[in-house]
Amino acid sequence: MKRQACICLTAILTAIVLGVSSVHAQSGPQPTTQMLVVENGLASFSVATTVPVIDVNGKSTALQAHAQISRGGNGITIEHIEATLPVRTIKTGMAMRDNHMAEYIFTTAKGEVPDMRFVSERIDCPGVAPGHETACSISGMLSIRGVLHAFSLSAKVRQDAGGASYRVIGDGIIKLSDYGIERPTQLGVSTSDEVKIHLEFSGKEGALPTMTASSGGSK
Amino acid sequence: MRRAACLTGALGMLLCCLTAPPATALPTMIRLSYPNCTSCHIAPQGSGLLNAYGRGIDEAQSLRNADYKETDTSRNWFARSITQDFRSINLESGSYATGQPLTGVLRSRLQYRNDTELGAGFRLAVIGAIEDETDPRPALVYEPAIIPHTLYQSHDFKLYPYLVNALLSFRFNKNKEISFGRDQLPTGVNIPVLDTLIRTRNRLGYYDNPTQLKFFWWCKRYQLVPYAFAPGGNEPKISGRNSGEYGGGSLAEFDLLGKERTIVGMNILGAESQIERRRLVGPYCRLGFGSWGILAEHDITDRTYLAEAPAPHFRQQASFVQLFWATREWLVLSLIGEELKVGNPFKEQVAAGTAEAAIRLSPEFTITAGMGYQRNIVTEMVDPTAFVQLAMKPVFKGAVTRHQHH
Repeated sequence: MKRQACICLTAILTAIVLGVSSVHAQSGPQPTTQMLVVENGLASFSVATTVPVIDVNGKSTALQAHAQISRGGNGITIEHIEATLPVRTIKTGMAMRDNHMAEYIFTTAKGEVPDMRFVSERIDCPGVAPGHETACSISGMLSIRGVLHAFSLSAKVRQDAGGASYRVIGDGIIKLSDYGIERPTQLGVSTSDEVKIHLEFSGKEGALPTMTASSGGSK
Repeated sequence: MRRAACLTGALGMLLCCLTAPPATALPTMIRLSYPNCTSCHIAPQGSGLLNAYGRGIDEAQSLRNADYKETDTSRNWFARSITQDFRSINLESGSYATGQPLTGVLRSRLQYRNDTELGAGFRLAVIGAIEDETDPRPALVYEPAIIPHTLYQSHDFKLYPYLVNALLSFRFNKNKEISFGRDQLPTGVNIPVLDTLIRTRNRLGYYDNPTQLKFFWWCKRYQLVPYAFAPGGNEPKISGRNSGEYGGGSLAEFDLLGKERTIVGMNILGAESQIERRRLVGPYCRLGFGSWGILAEHDITDRTYLAEAPAPHFRQQASFVQLFWATREWLVLSLIGEELKVGNPFKEQVAAGTAEAAIRLSPEFTITAGMGYQRNIVTEMVDPTAFVQLAMKPVFKGAVTRHQHH
């Protein structure tokens, strides 16, 4: 009897499991949430000046970010995004210009030099699939020297064939005036108000830390 | 004579004690997205005095790395309108040809440079120089060398004055300028070293400054420089034939990738004197990649030697490649390769290589040291060279202050 009952229970469990699998197969995979971590991403900028042939360009490879990523049947959803860029890591190739940039652009009235910080609660990128590149708009709030303002990037997201990492290339424009920053002027040359931003980074999925599962992550 | 030498030296030292910058900015600045000379130089062709922004960059690119600021000169016409300096360049070089004893040359050159804003967009630029040793380009049958007149001469000391340029310019707006006067002709990579093969073999030596009319039109991604020229009056005559040329040409360059770091261009020139006719096509590029870059030019010149009948035609090819690396902003190391090929009946084949270091201590002091060789492939002669050059460039420019950056 006991043996018959055991076989019967196994058969029922098997049927349930197969049934669940069958339902999954019909409705697509359920979203699985993972931690997405970006390290040493590239952030560059270019700003025109009042002199036609002078553009000021700079870059940093210290872009850090983390977020939660959910893969669904129709692309990915990224939540609780937080990205930071230490502004002292932005280099223009000229130390004096870097000093001026830190002083005129990134220093607060209190003399602090806070990191640039981007936060966004949720971004949906439909169409992202392994081995494919998809256009995606990334919107959120960008903080420069402590002033928050809306910011968006037009990005291309490519998920690798294995599906666990992503390559993102994005471009956007920020206006210095949006952050209360005066256009810097040096020896008769002034920059434009608009600064072109270019980002390139790769993110890898990792296990979601227990502590951050419900809080949206922490640094 | 010794008094004259001492006086010259004392004057040089005195000038060095005076404050303020400029300097010759370099095409190597392409590495920092400076695609041509207009950003930093008053004249769009470069090689002359720096504008205020250029003086700031010059300071920032030196070992001193101070913060350059100009004071308000709006109430002082002299300070506002005139930029001028004295520039002393002292070159010590040693070389020996195969089987020949070592020869050394100490050459001192003092330049006075003046750029005066006349108002309404007009500007007058003058550079005059005096030196104790001439540095003419090679005297060739078809292209005789220009040698400046002697101002003072004793048995072991000479002074040669000469005019480098005298130009009246009118700037239409931010990116268009027309100039008339005497100057060097526009050229491709525009390296400041005038004794390279691409310059000495294409009439771009120290004393080549024909009368010319040229127009500069530059934008973010291109630059056009059409020009026409006539003899400057200092060209020598050979057997009654004047070597001064009449001609014209154009420089056209384009920023390939749009980041102001990948300039490719072409110089086209046609000219004729009573001695020769030449047609030059010279593609070139200036490429910058952050701390390093490449300057390259290849000039193909078809020449006709008119002093003989029938006039022989022959081709000259001169190449220049410089790979540079700014290990520090003030320290630029370079490897330079050059090649020259001249066809019959004036056959020549020369290859040269140089390794050099340019150390910019401050805008006023630059030391360049290097060593290299030149090999004549036809005669199999090898000519090693070593050199040290000290350039001192104090400036007289209004009131300037300098604040050390913290």
